[in-house]
Amino acid sequence: MYTGPLRALIDELGRLPGIGPKSAQRIAFHVLKIPGEDAGRLAAAILAVKERTTLCSRCFNVAEAGELCDVCSDERRDPTVLCVVEDPRDIVAVERTQQFRGRYHVLQGALNPLEGVGPDQLRVRELLERVGAEGAKEVILCTNPNLEGEATAMYLARMLGPLEVTVTRIASGLPVGGDLEYADELTLGRALEGRRQVTA
Amino acid sequence: MFVEAALEPASAGTTVIEGPNGAGKTTVLEAVAFLGTQRSFRTTDREAIVRAGATSAVIRAELARDGTPVLVEAELPTSGRVRSQVNRQPVRDRRDLSRAVPVTVFSPDDLAVVRGAPGNRRDLLDDTLRILDVRAGLALDQLDRVLRQRAALLRQAGGRLAPEVATTLDVWDERLATVGATVAEARTELVTALAPFVVTGYSSLAQEGVAAGSSLTSTPAGPGGPAGSGVVLTYRSSWTGDLASALASRRDEDVRRGVTTTGPHRDDLEVRLAGRDTRTQASQGEQRSLALALRLAVHRLVTERLGAPPLLLLDDVFSELDPGRSRALVAALPQGQALLTTAGPVPAGVAFAARVDVRTIGRRAAP
Repeated sequence: MYTGPLRALIDELGRLPGIGPKSAQRIAFHVLKIPGEDAGRLAAAILAVKERTTLCSRCFNVAEAGELCDVCSDERRDPTVLCVVEDPRDIVAVERTQQFRGRYHVLQGALNPLEGVGPDQLRVRELLERVGAEGAKEVILCTNPNLEGEATAMYLARMLGPLEVTVTRIASGLPVGGDLEYADELTLGRALEGRRQVTA
Repeated sequence: MFVEAALEPASAGTTVIEGPNGAGKTTVLEAVAFLGTQRSFRTTDREAIVRAGATSAVIRAELARDGTPVLVEAELPTSGRVRSQVNRQPVRDRRDLSRAVPVTVFSPDDLAVVRGAPGNRRDLLDDTLRILDVRAGLALDQLDRVLRQRAALLRQAGGRLAPEVATTLDVWDERLATVGATVAEARTELVTALAPFVVTGYSSLAQEGVAAGSSLTSTPAGPGGPAGSGVVLTYRSSWTGDLASALASRRDEDVRRGVTTTGPHRDDLEVRLAGRDTRTQASQGEQRSLALALRLAVHRLVTERLGAPPLLLLDDVFSELDPGRSRALVAALPQGQALLTTAGPVPAGVAFAARVDVRTIGRRAAP
């Protein structure tokens, strides 16, 4: 229907996650309309993220090329606590809590044989090395509370077992500020399992 | 078939839907069942559910629950997601739907539960658990996923148990042992709860059957079970002891064969009649009565646990049964609303609240 560059742009946009053919078309026409400098900035940002961004050599979070990530280069962070997550986006989520002052380790995924992901595809060896080298006292397993995330946590717990480090797993439960009646039964069941004694 | 059809069944008791073959009786039941399950009991092919030439089908039911009207709707396109609504609110979880429109379906295909592969019997148990037991429902979902992950891992191992394969297998086996034990436990409890209902249901159906002269009694007792007269249900685990050690002891074989050779997915519900294995050593009539008794037992148990009977859908059950058994079946049904289809006449003595000719309830596409 469209030809040349417009067709190519729609095709490329359509390959992005969460963008269907109609959205791709809408975005492409929007780009067609915006001033050249705006389009240039967008193109430059896309190129820059590819050229200047790599993984942090210590924790495998996203970082500027050749440097440690923002967390690892922050001297105020506590090196004795390591929070293990699947994905750099999980770091953003944990950071929003403003309650964690340690460092991170990004596995770059979770165990998932169906997708061909085993321990060798994850940054497990690097985690084990770090625990010894950085003098970590606690490792928080912060993988997703789904089957693959739980399996990964269990695997890591086994691998970390022989090392002198406390291994903890984040709790599952109810969203704060929500209503019990809207909670799904699985989450509520987990929350009941993990109930705690209230001391007056 | 129908362009549209509307049916107002009797508010209590059995509504008989009559009509010749191919007139759309099963379609009506299928539509009602779909509202509660988002599934057809007849086919998995969406194209075969939606009228040929149409792009989607819409099903709508007005129910009264404790005197309050409830509007349940489903829209099913030939491709894409089925959308369900209860009181105009979208419902995403199938469990919420099965609570809004609980249904029990009896269909001629139920014979496979007795005669077919173990998977048919596991499905009967698992479908019931999904309605009655949230924890077991979750465990079933996880079991399916763990088994698929483990199968992928075994395939990748290529027949050799390398150390890194062993450590990852440990992790999946631990999950499998946990959810597998939960599933097996829940199924065993369910079988224990179902057993008395199956025994009474079968004996009422069978006695009528004997009276009508259609039951065989000459089959010899098989080995491995005490010869008795009644139905005995036994949940047969594919392992003994705890699942974790069973998996450990089968690991070499699993790796060599690339499949998980033990676990709840290999279990079976054994149904014995007078000591005989009913899969192979029962007459057709006995197998039919047993299939009905099993389904009926589920219906009664769900009724007891939920406090109200699910809507009963009986598709063409009389064609399978002699008049005596037909009467016994209808008499054994708990109080509640039922829709029943039949191509022939309603057997004498079978009570019903209303009867409808399927040819009068809808507008049809020109042939």
